[in-house]
Parts: sequence; structure tokens; C-alpha cells
Amino acid sequence: MSTGTPRPQATSTPLRFRRSAARLTTGQVKNLRDGFQAMQGINDDRGYGYHAGIHGLPLPIGCDNAHGSDYFLPWHRAYLYFFERALRDQVPNAMLTWWDWRISPQRAARLPKPFVNKTVDRKPNPLASAGVAPLALQQGGNQVPAKTVREPGAPGAPALPSVQEVSDVLALSDFVDFSAQLEQLHNRVHGWVGGHMGQIAYAAFDPIFWAHHCMIDRLWRLWQLRHPGAGPPASILDEALPPFRMTVRGTLSVTALGYDYAVASASTQPPTP
Amino acid sequence: MTTITSDPLELPELEDVEELSRADLVFYGVDHSGPSYEARVFVNNPKADAATERVLDHGYAGSFSVFGHNGCFGDEGHCLPDQRERDEFDLRAPHPLRPLTMTVIATEAVRRAFVEPAVSALTVTVVIVVPDDGFPKAGGSAARFDYVRLLTYEG
Repeated sequence: MSTGTPRPQATSTPLRFRRSAARLTTGQVKNLRDGFQAMQGINDDRGYGYHAGIHGLPLPIGCDNAHGSDYFLPWHRAYLYFFERALRDQVPNAMLTWWDWRISPQRAARLPKPFVNKTVDRKPNPLASAGVAPLALQQGGNQVPAKTVREPGAPGAPALPSVQEVSDVLALSDFVDFSAQLEQLHNRVHGWVGGHMGQIAYAAFDPIFWAHHCMIDRLWRLWQLRHPGAGPPASILDEALPPFRMTVRGTLSVTALGYDYAVASASTQPPTP
Repeated sequence: MTTITSDPLELPELEDVEELSRADLVFYGVDHSGPSYEARVFVNNPKADAATERVLDHGYAGSFSVFGHNGCFGDEGHCLPDQRERDEFDLRAPHPLRPLTMTVIATEAVRRAFVEPAVSALTVTVVIVVPDDGFPKAGGSAARFDYVRLLTYEG
């Protein structure tokens, strides 16, 4: 088994599903919240600060070659995968969720509800804000708040992508073209949320980052279904995606990584033998 | 707000505008060391500014957004791509602040330019808008690029 090559799922291991943040059940929201809460309470390399810090500060800025390049989608798929593994180490049934940020005359621009309320049961909501790692703050000159904030739709902020724009991007048949145009839409979402999310150095500390990137990853999945056989250039397939133990090729199949996307899902408990 | 207008870009010969299946405006050497910003792109509208309505009638072609670094967090020289020694044996990833290439698919705006009477060239005006989200912004001018190219496709 070569480095990072995912094995096909054993039949006894069912796929897990990332669901729409707008369609989560109460229990699914609780699992997500509990997972984020637990990770945010860990200061070692299992914790939230460690994983969020991979993207930006503290140095090195791990995502640097994952923006403005053909590695954008593979690198972030790997990033979500390893973050979700760490999340499920804390709460085994927790799954990341996707934020459908598309707007239209019928769909207003807004953050998903589980990520909005500052408190839940009189405690800080770990999906609304998170602490920035102290070393990241220090290296950034202590110029930003120590807990993440947002300024959605601030003056001058780009608009969220429209349903039509997303549809147009999904219709592009070449991976490099698709990836570059999808990254543009992705950049606008960072800009629309604002605050820490608007800055590469701190964006991943905001819990909404993970739901935003699940939407990007989901759109890549939808594009793959629509354009079977199309994918990243052969020249990069065996390239590593540092710091992750995975190659570009290893990111191509979400089902081989053990997950897929659904709008909503529910299941019974497995029958007791 | 910063506005940059290109030199005129010559339009190719085209017998029928319907043959134009796609037109791209490709921006080379886009700097991303400063704050994040949106670059709104207008065709044949050098007076465009941040208040200009983003519709075809005003030449609006689309936009690109830059997820900026907003400053350098290392010591002196950390963010200068030119300070790296490169040769064919250098297997390191490219410097993170190498300039980017941004493509705006601008088919409809370019089609309009084709059908305007007596127009043989188009200008590209880029309006740079930095969100005012209360966060500190590093550096001077938010945006810089080396040049823009018009690419057209038929069929």
C-alpha cells in the first residue's frame, strides 16, 4: 500500500455522509458542536488550534501552494479529511457539514443557523467562534481579536456566489478551468464572511471555514459525477500534499475516503445481534 | 478604491459574433501579498468605479477575488520570492507569494464590444474594492498585476 492511498471500504464499514447545515437533525448538530467543543479544549496536535493553524499562522502557512494552483481542491479535501478524523476521535458520530451559500432571488445571503447563535444553553457556541492559537496571534503582531469574529456582507465585501454562477462553473469540463473558477467563488465567500475568515492567516480558526470548504469539496464531488473521467493533470497526481500523508491521486474518490455528500440522512441503530 | 485601466486590446476579426463561444480576460502577475480584495472588471468603461452598477449595460464583465496574505509574518526577506535560489534540482514547492494568474470569463461583455459600431479595440478597467470589515490592512495599494490578455474562442 503506497503512502496515503486509501483502501476500498470494507463492506462492514458504511459510508458516512456530510449533510447540509440547513438540514441537520438536533442530534447531528449536537454531535458537531460537541466535537468542536472537545477539539477546542485540546492544546496538542489533536486539537482545534493545531488543525486550524495548518492553513495559516503559525508559520509555515500550510495552504500557500494550495491557493492559486491546481492543488486547491486536492489539498483542501485532504485537509478536511484529517480534520474530520480528529473530530470523530472526540465524538465518533460527528460529521462535518456543508454550508450552501448560493444566493438567488429566493435565497438570501446568510450564515447557517447552527453557526450563528453566540451561546447555546448559556454556554459559548463552539460553532460560532473559536480562539486563535496564541503563537498565531503573536506571529501576526497581535493585530486581530483572540477569538474569531465575522462581519458578513461588510461594505465593499464581494457578494456570495449565485445559483447561476455555481451552475456555470459546474458546466466547465476541464479540471484546471473548473478549479480556478471555483476558487474564485471560494475567495468571495471568504471575503463576504469577513473578519478572520477574510484573512488567509486566520481563516481556518473560524468554525464556519469547515462548512464553507465542505461546500467547495461537495461541488468538486458534483463536478466529478457530471464529468466522469475528468480530473487533475496527470503530472500532479503523484505529488504529495504536505503536511498531509496523502497524494493528489489519493483525494480523487470521496467514497474511498469513506464519505459522501447528502442533503440529509437519518438511519436506525444497527440491529443488535 | 483603486482603478486600473489597460491599454487598448485589439479585437480579432470575426465574421459573426455568434461564432464567439467564449472570451477570457486573463490577468497575469497578480500580486496577493496585501489584503483580500475584489477586482471588478469592466469593458470599455474607463469611468467605472466602486459605485458603478455591475451589469452588462455598463460593460461589467465579471470579477476576480484575491484571498490576500495581508502582510508578511516572517523576518526580513521571508516574503520575497526573488530571494530564492532556483535551479533544475530545486524540488521545493514554488514560493508562496509567486504572482497569480486570474481568469475572468467575460464572453457576454466581449460580445457586446464586437457589436458596437466602429470599435476595433477594447479597454479593460479593473476596480479594486477592499472590504471594510474593521480588520487592519497591510501594505499600500491592494492590487497589482503585470498585464491582461484577451483570449477568444470560436465554435
